Amino acid sequence: MASVLSVQGLTKLYGQLEALKGVSFEVGEGEIFALIGPNGAGKTTTLRVVATLLSPSGGKVTLLGRDLKTEPEKFRENISYLPEEAGAYRNLKAEDYLKFMAGFYSDDPVRTAEYLKRAEEICGLGLRLKDKVGTYSKGMVRKLLLGRALMTKPALTILDEPTSGLDVINSLEVREIIKRFAREGISVLLSSHNMLEIEFLSDRVALIDKGVILDSGTPAALKQKYKAENLETVFRSALR
Amino acid sequence: MNKFIHLLKKEIKELVTKQLVVTLVFTMGIFYMMGTITKSEVKKAIGKQDIAVLDQDGSELSKSLVGSLAMVNYVPKAVAASSSREALDIVRAGKENVLLVIPGGFGASVAALAPKPIETYAFIRTFSVIGIRRSEVLKGIIEAMNDYVSNDYLRARLPGADPKGLKHPIVTRDFVLIKDRMAEGSISAIAGFVSSQTMMVPIILMMIIIYASQMVISAIAMEKQNKTLETLLTVPISRTAIVTAKMLASGLVGLLSAVFYMLGYRYFMSGITGSIGAAAGLNAVVKQLGLSMSGSGLVVLSLSLFMAILCALALAMILGVLAEDFRSAQTLIMPVILLVMIPYFLTLFSDPKTLSLPAKILLLAIPFSHSFLAVQNLFLGDYRSIVFGMLYMTAFFAVLVVLAGRIFSSDKVLTMKLRWGKKKVVL
Repeated sequence: MASVLSVQGLTKLYGQLEALKGVSFEVGEGEIFALIGPNGAGKTTTLRVVATLLSPSGGKVTLLGRDLKTEPEKFRENISYLPEEAGAYRNLKAEDYLKFMAGFYSDDPVRTAEYLKRAEEICGLGLRLKDKVGTYSKGMVRKLLLGRALMTKPALTILDEPTSGLDVINSLEVREIIKRFAREGISVLLSSHNMLEIEFLSDRVALIDKGVILDSGTPAALKQKYKAENLETVFRSALR
Repeated sequence: MNKFIHLLKKEIKELVTKQLVVTLVFTMGIFYMMGTITKSEVKKAIGKQDIAVLDQDGSELSKSLVGSLAMVNYVPKAVAASSSREALDIVRAGKENVLLVIPGGFGASVAALAPKPIETYAFIRTFSVIGIRRSEVLKGIIEAMNDYVSNDYLRARLPGADPKGLKHPIVTRDFVLIKDRMAEGSISAIAGFVSSQTMMVPIILMMIIIYASQMVISAIAMEKQNKTLETLLTVPISRTAIVTAKMLASGLVGLLSAVFYMLGYRYFMSGITGSIGAAAGLNAVVKQLGLSMSGSGLVVLSLSLFMAILCALALAMILGVLAEDFRSAQTLIMPVILLVMIPYFLTLFSDPKTLSLPAKILLLAIPFSHSFLAVQNLFLGDYRSIVFGMLYMTAFFAVLVVLAGRIFSSDKVLTMKLRWGKKKVVL
């Protein structure tokens, strides 16, 4: 599996606080790679650095060979990021919001139409796309944002708690969509507190605590290594 | 470039809401209504004034005195009363703002050069500028009466002599000079007229700066509050383009709103200043002195205003980063308001040239001051100061834009917050 994202020796300092202490991992093409760890472990910081929101203090991050530090704009052309607490412009109609976001990735009307069609399929919001985002429920906004994140089929999608705020049925749908897109070749870097979700979605998992990756591997390999029945137990054992 | 235009369109679309359009139309309507009312009120105030008169003397002198008032823009109205107290009650219930009571024996006392005092009563019925002006006509009435009586007296005593020359043996012709331009007129009247004509420039400038700044700060605060900023920062467009699009959109919408306000305000003010200026016959003098705004002057002034707006927007952009939500954005506008108020009041109530050195440095260090001073400098033909001001504002703007660009290209756009406690970092 060809490597799409490479993170090597990533460090991040917030003043005196060392949030990441040399984090390294790789994400292959069409692979779903998950970061799990307790609150304050450095998951969101890692995701934000890869999403180009935070600048790394040290280390190297490359996507398809492009360096995050030297070519941030080219880097952004191949990623999409869905933060845990994300919103859309409340004054815009949902379809206008999607058009607006698509406009950053293509000037070609045919391609834009293709993006919008894909987003509509992912969101499943139907005629409600004609309504303003301000009238949407939290779950609808989340589905709209997931549609936005996946519509351009980026090389890497960064998802922070992708099913946050969604009910059981919608969460299942979203997980299926993520799986489907990964099968189509999109690489996914995700973080979630829901271990069932991680186990269902991820090809590989990294356990992170205090800015350090403690262990990584496929869910099955990790369970075997820690003699655990599920990832929750793996998680607890690794932290000990 | 396409991405920039794409973003700019969205920013403008977000700012031009139905609420904004309704507010602008409503404001224009209010200004139009106020302007129409004020215009008719001013016309009344500077037109003929009714004066209540109780003539207890009934002499030839008192009669001709009352008659003389009609010649100097007053309409004397006789009050049928037996005493000044009764006359007061009648006038109090009426509409006149002034009552004159000419005492019995007034004519004889004047002839004996020991004039009995004429009682004057001014009724304050309102504290509005126009209302007070109506009550102030007393001074003019007394002057007119004194003139009439003394002229009559001098003509009787010194037949053939010109009473005017006797009373005012020293006469002056007043000239006002501005650089190489000169015109005949009273300095106080000209200065008063010019300041009334230009008083709206700083007000409008202040309004535009505050309005546009508020829009930029709110735009960033709303991005943060609605959690859209993080997503926007990860799309493939340069951070400088994001900063510029937000500033340009706010600047354009701010300017458009200001034009609406300016047109409305201009209509409202023309009701006051236009009528007074024409009545005082000052328009020609003002033109002769080059104190009316020429086309090139307007261009220079507009450029200066535009530079001030750009500085305000860049400053607001940086302040907006500190905002956590829409509510905190309202507080963060305060530094901009202060920086606008200082030059506004300093230029309104003092002469910048005679200020103490620290005050002068403070004034000139604030970029907006140069726009406030631009009007005065234009009239005075001080183009060097105008050019210096514009260069200073350009440099100030450039520094702020670089700073804003750096902030937006760094972590600070997400981590910089105005907090009075411990910093919270999401790991």
